[in-house]
Amino acid sequence: MRLSEADSHALAGAPAAPSYLEDGTTVMSWLNTRDHKRIGVMFLASVIFFFFIGGVFALLLRFKLLEPGPFFVDAISYNRLFTLHGVVMIFLFLIPAIPSAFGNFVLPLMVGARDVAFPRLNLASFYLYLTGAAIAIWGMLHGGADTGWTFYTPYSSTSPTQVAPILLGAFILGFSSILTGLNFIVTTHTLRAPGLNWMKLPLFVWGLYATSIIQILATPVLGISLLLVTVERIGGFGLFDPARGGDPVLFQHLFWFYSHPAVYIMVLPAMGVISETVCAFSHKNAFGYRAIAFSSIGIGFVGFFTWGHHLFVAGQSTFVGGAFGLLSMFVGIFTAIKIFNWVGTMYRGAISFKTPFAYICGFLYFLVFGGMTGIALATTSLDIHWHDTYFIVAHFHFIMVGASVMAFLAALHYWFPKMFGRTYPEGWGLVAASLIILGFNATFIPQFLLGNFGMPRRYYQYPEHFQALHVASTAGATLLGFGFVIILIYLAIALRYGERSAPNPWGSKGFEWMTASPPPTHNFDEIPTITQMPHDYRTHEPPGVIRVA
Amino acid sequence: MSESGPSGQASDVLHPGDAHEEHEHSAIPYVVVWIALLLFTLLTYFTGKHHLGQWALPIALAIACTKSALVVLIFMHLNNSSGMPRLIFVTSLIFVGLLMFFTVGDVATRFRPATPAGAPFGTEPSQPEGLLEHELPE
Amino acid sequence: MSHEAAGLPEGIIGHHFSSLSRQNEAMRLGMWLFLATEILLFAGLFTGYAIYRYEFPLAFAAASRHLNLTAGTVNTVVLITSSFTVALAIHFARVDRPRAAAVCLVLTILMALGFLGIKAIEYTEHFHEQALPGKYYAFKEVTIPGAAMFYSLYFLMTGLHGLHVVAGMSVLSWILWRTLQGRYSSRYYTGIELGGLYWHLVDLVWIFLYPLLYLI
Repeated sequence: MRLSEADSHALAGAPAAPSYLEDGTTVMSWLNTRDHKRIGVMFLASVIFFFFIGGVFALLLRFKLLEPGPFFVDAISYNRLFTLHGVVMIFLFLIPAIPSAFGNFVLPLMVGARDVAFPRLNLASFYLYLTGAAIAIWGMLHGGADTGWTFYTPYSSTSPTQVAPILLGAFILGFSSILTGLNFIVTTHTLRAPGLNWMKLPLFVWGLYATSIIQILATPVLGISLLLVTVERIGGFGLFDPARGGDPVLFQHLFWFYSHPAVYIMVLPAMGVISETVCAFSHKNAFGYRAIAFSSIGIGFVGFFTWGHHLFVAGQSTFVGGAFGLLSMFVGIFTAIKIFNWVGTMYRGAISFKTPFAYICGFLYFLVFGGMTGIALATTSLDIHWHDTYFIVAHFHFIMVGASVMAFLAALHYWFPKMFGRTYPEGWGLVAASLIILGFNATFIPQFLLGNFGMPRRYYQYPEHFQALHVASTAGATLLGFGFVIILIYLAIALRYGERSAPNPWGSKGFEWMTASPPPTHNFDEIPTITQMPHDYRTHEPPGVIRVA
Repeated sequence: MSESGPSGQASDVLHPGDAHEEHEHSAIPYVVVWIALLLFTLLTYFTGKHHLGQWALPIALAIACTKSALVVLIFMHLNNSSGMPRLIFVTSLIFVGLLMFFTVGDVATRFRPATPAGAPFGTEPSQPEGLLEHELPE
Repeated sequence: MSHEAAGLPEGIIGHHFSSLSRQNEAMRLGMWLFLATEILLFAGLFTGYAIYRYEFPLAFAAASRHLNLTAGTVNTVVLITSSFTVALAIHFARVDRPRAAAVCLVLTILMALGFLGIKAIEYTEHFHEQALPGKYYAFKEVTIPGAAMFYSLYFLMTGLHGLHVVAGMSVLSWILWRTLQGRYSSRYYTGIELGGLYWHLVDLVWIFLYPLLYLI
């Protein structure tokens, strides 16, 4: 028997079981939980914490760059600061941010499962994350590293700073990432609700699936390359040391075989978030569902064929360089397919301009701008001019901060009522979003100009005629930081004092809204049978129908 | 890919081929594969000992691939597993190939002076002085 | 789901799985994904091997011929046979002969120990000859450039493989314990099957290491 809409809403809205937040309130009930929702929330708290740490490093850097000469910190501390900024933001924030926090929380809800396939591995993934973070932080407090987050040899194997603990920390964080990816793939394969076939999967799940494939295939190669640098530091094996016949470019190959696809680990889940939210706030089903879904897999695949574009000036052969340059441009095709379809989804939709939608707009603009400069950079001849300048820095911040962080914030606001059952103040949300988008442009557009004028990245001092642009960039960064702090404050207040939200405040037809907000520990009283596509706003039926046995 | 997905109430039913065939399960293939693996080891030992010049590496790799195929198909049951494990295994091999193809391809097509110190100079990898092929110890 | 779980040890099916066969499928899938990560982990080292063998073909050949070929060959036979006994152990578990399965697992673990023993003897020889990696290389008989690189790779590859042998032994010991407890039968043998898969992977890596290191 199928229940009517009103009945199933009553079931979803007023569950008999307590929500996952109320199911045990001791500290141990959180630390020893197997519940994917609690693990997701713990990940969320951790990544936000590290985001602010990395942000502080960034602001310190920008503060130093107000002056062309020595100022505020000495040169070696400056080198440590940009290394720590990179390591924290990449390994502790961007890689786990959307998959481990929101993916963990939402994926089982979206596929209609009671948990991920391996709940204990999921918890292990969280503790590996904490362990890796603790070791890396220990290294940072005991001397830090000055190699940059890329750990290029031979400098990283001879640098007098504490490179080894940070390498080890990143190595362990890799395992955390692998376990999360493994869990997501198996969950998507084996725990989908009845009626939910692959062509009905929410687009966020497609994004996470493609991400997980990359995590499985690429992360081990990062593991071995970091391990080899550690061995080289401790044992002098000479694998990357030209003085012993080793080839430093081999390290760059191994490193970027992971780290280029890792860019897609950071951006594919972000694209998944945008695919969900753009439907929810346009009140329209996805335009070109299959195109968006398959282009996620396409990006995941092609992302593996492009790593050599980081090595254009490293001594890589011209032939391989040319091949990599050409292959890199294919990523643009898949990304363009997505952007076209997102805009197509908005077209003639009933748009409600809430905070997440502001971030969607920001995301689209930053992704197009960052992506187009990426195509230019993949052209070998142009890259030689821009390589290792602020142009590169601005390009990847447009993707990493512009795209990924905008999507992270969109997800945070969109799922905040789902996760905590409370609403955030909409007015403050829009104020913070405007500040962030404005501040971001003010930070990085001057950096594009600086790079094009020849300002190299990672330099402690610079010629005086660059000062005006550096000051503009620092002013923008301050604005950006201010925006993030506003969000932190109003969300912290909303967590405790925010208005209780309705079970589905956005009127979203995403599958994760089939259950209560916040959901009960076991997610569903009865596993729903999926009868519709996600975000089908043409009917007033709920997406899932609860079967009564 | 989709055959592993649930379809309606079928998910509550036992998967065919997953259980209840065990009592007919035979160990004979394992014995055959074991003997074959030992024979291949003998073969690679003798071909390897004779240092067959430029054929040595392809022959050694071909034998190793054959042995691996036997282990993967029979010992690890990929010959009668569902599609996903096969897809995962083959995908991992493709990506190993990808990593090696471009990295070795880079080294092989590089401007020679860009190769590491101590490596032979010139347009081809050449032989260091005083050590010709036939002088290698047996 | 209850009819499937009847008579099986408590707590075998997780609360979030609809059936035991679905859970078995998930566990197999998870294990194969894990094996894929292991394959990619070794791929980094094999890539390093490939480019340095391309750069230093003669040094690699010369250095390789000073390895103990007999020890390497014996170890290959030992590891292949241990793979065979693990396959048999799974077979015996599937046909409800847990005691035979346990015997096979014991044999496997003993062969793993034997493998490590022979490897230790080889390592001792290298230490005496000072055929050591990188900056410690002081082997008198092969002095051409690239020989030190061969030994670096040799120690890294066999060392990482050795760590996997130790990990595999631990897994198999745990599975032996569960077998003796009567955990596995024709109705449930996924645990022993997955442990076996891991051990076969250790064997697979060695199948490539043997000709690439000992037979150049």
